[in-house]
Amino acid sequence: MPFPPSLARALASLYVSDAEFERLGDLHYQDAGHGYDAFGLHPDFVALGELVAGPLYDRWFRVISRGHGSIPEIGPAVIAGNHSGNIPIDAAMIWMDVLRNTSPPRVPRAIADHFVPSLPWVGTLFARSGMIGGSRGNTRALLESGELLLIFPEGTPGIIKPWNERFQLRPFRVGHAELAIRYSAPIIPVGVIGAEEQLPLLHVSKRLGKPLGVPEVPIPAVPVPLPVRYRIFYGEPIPVHEEFSPEDADDPDVVRIVAGRVQAAVDRLLKQGLAERKGVFL
Amino acid sequence: MSESVLPDRRNVLITGADTPIGERLARVLISDSRVDQILAVCGGDADLYPLADNSRIKPIQVDLMRSRRVRELLFGPARDEQIHVVVHLAMHRSPRARGSRAHAFNVEALRGIIALAERHPTIERLVLRSDAAVYRSRRDLPVLIGEEHPLNIGVDVPQWVRDRVEADITACVRMGLSRLQIAVLRMAEVLAPGTGSQMFDWLESPVCFRPAGFDPMINLLSLEDATSSLQKAIFSNDDGVFNIPGADTLPLTACIRAWGRLGIPVAEPAMGPLYRLRSRISGHDFRYGINRGRFHFSGVLDGTRARDVLRFVPAYPVDWPVA
Repeated sequence: MPFPPSLARALASLYVSDAEFERLGDLHYQDAGHGYDAFGLHPDFVALGELVAGPLYDRWFRVISRGHGSIPEIGPAVIAGNHSGNIPIDAAMIWMDVLRNTSPPRVPRAIADHFVPSLPWVGTLFARSGMIGGSRGNTRALLESGELLLIFPEGTPGIIKPWNERFQLRPFRVGHAELAIRYSAPIIPVGVIGAEEQLPLLHVSKRLGKPLGVPEVPIPAVPVPLPVRYRIFYGEPIPVHEEFSPEDADDPDVVRIVAGRVQAAVDRLLKQGLAERKGVFL
Repeated sequence: MSESVLPDRRNVLITGADTPIGERLARVLISDSRVDQILAVCGGDADLYPLADNSRIKPIQVDLMRSRRVRELLFGPARDEQIHVVVHLAMHRSPRARGSRAHAFNVEALRGIIALAERHPTIERLVLRSDAAVYRSRRDLPVLIGEEHPLNIGVDVPQWVRDRVEADITACVRMGLSRLQIAVLRMAEVLAPGTGSQMFDWLESPVCFRPAGFDPMINLLSLEDATSSLQKAIFSNDDGVFNIPGADTLPLTACIRAWGRLGIPVAEPAMGPLYRLRSRISGHDFRYGINRGRFHFSGVLDGTRARDVLRFVPAYPVDWPVA
């Protein structure tokens, strides 16, 4: 960002408590010098991210979550979940939820499509709070240094779904399974309920996307996201690191089977959450 | 195949010895007991070479663009001094140097040195100073740049970059094919005057324009670490390509602040014309076309291989004017 970390910290202090700042002092990240990691993450900008995402998490979407015990305290891991909502608020809510409910705090490194880092301002703000572009080299480097990745295996087709197809998972891609096997990381399935209904989709424009540098632009039926209740449920870790050797990552059948297991686990969490909830806004 | 056995004590030939890196390397090697003789090849007058009065240094002026002079150098003074290692630092630093003459200096001279060194009676090792500029910077490429990262090849790439890529590849293609050991050091940008640093030239203005909305991570190398990596490569017996990162990894805006400059974000289409104008008025070397990619997308060299093989770890941060 064009402003220094000290200003980010000052801005963040409008919302983030002293205790939370102290907690963020234990944040696991690899300082490459000058307080930033090689990908651009800085703890003060993580706090700034809390200023942006916190009010949405606490007041607008009133997030309920459970199963944080599945997230390892240290070491590489991959969180894989369903993607929806036309804009990636679900990623921001998982980011916030993991940050708040892990001790010492962990920042999930959200893997974004290639176009995201090339978006002015947005790409930089996201990078400062932990997002990275979805290239093989980036994910490898992060898992090797014991980071926690957040991947949406449905990809862009998942986030832009018509209303009548909500909660229907798009076929999971296999990259997350391959990464987890190759770098001996458990996969933690996560189901997000609520995002599907936050911005009902009116139209998807490819024409508008071109000048903006994005593949498609969703045109929602409402101007702002509806205050739906978010539910984030983490499932039992899938211990691919115990079941497979890193060499198995080269076997297309193995990665396909693992990706299928992850999709089934996410689907179960979604069905469970939908059965439990009493209403979209409750 | 590399079959050479180099002695522990080595005689070294440095091309580009009168550049800041070359001169510093020569100073470091003088105080290194493992080095006997240093042949310092200069582009300018050898009599004016600052270390000319040291008995272990023999400065010599050679026009590397002339293959005959290169042959006379290697099979004359270099053979007489029993040179074991050639450190090739000579490369046009300014993007103003263009055309076939610049190409002859940047690429053909190296090609000639390699060909001659392969049949030289004493030269066993070549260390090439390459550049992080050889790597492509694009949104879909990793932030952490390994040695296998795509190179910046293309018809639209400026000659300043293209020559560096070609020189790098020229050395790489001979690896393992002859008895000559070849080590290519792809160095992060050395933030110091006279090193050909585009970033240094950019930071010389009190106001630094940058593309609005982007603040990529960059990695910078100090002169001390640059020479330290060369010194380690001279005494290694390993072939290969090695990234040489610096101790400073920081966002572009933090770099501007730490240099005590004012950063002004401007719309992307204005960047090229603004810096073309600056170059015409004040003669500066910074070219936006060379730096466009890294002014948008982060690129940090991964120095794992240099750490594991050469035992090089950056230890000297850049001396920032503003703490």
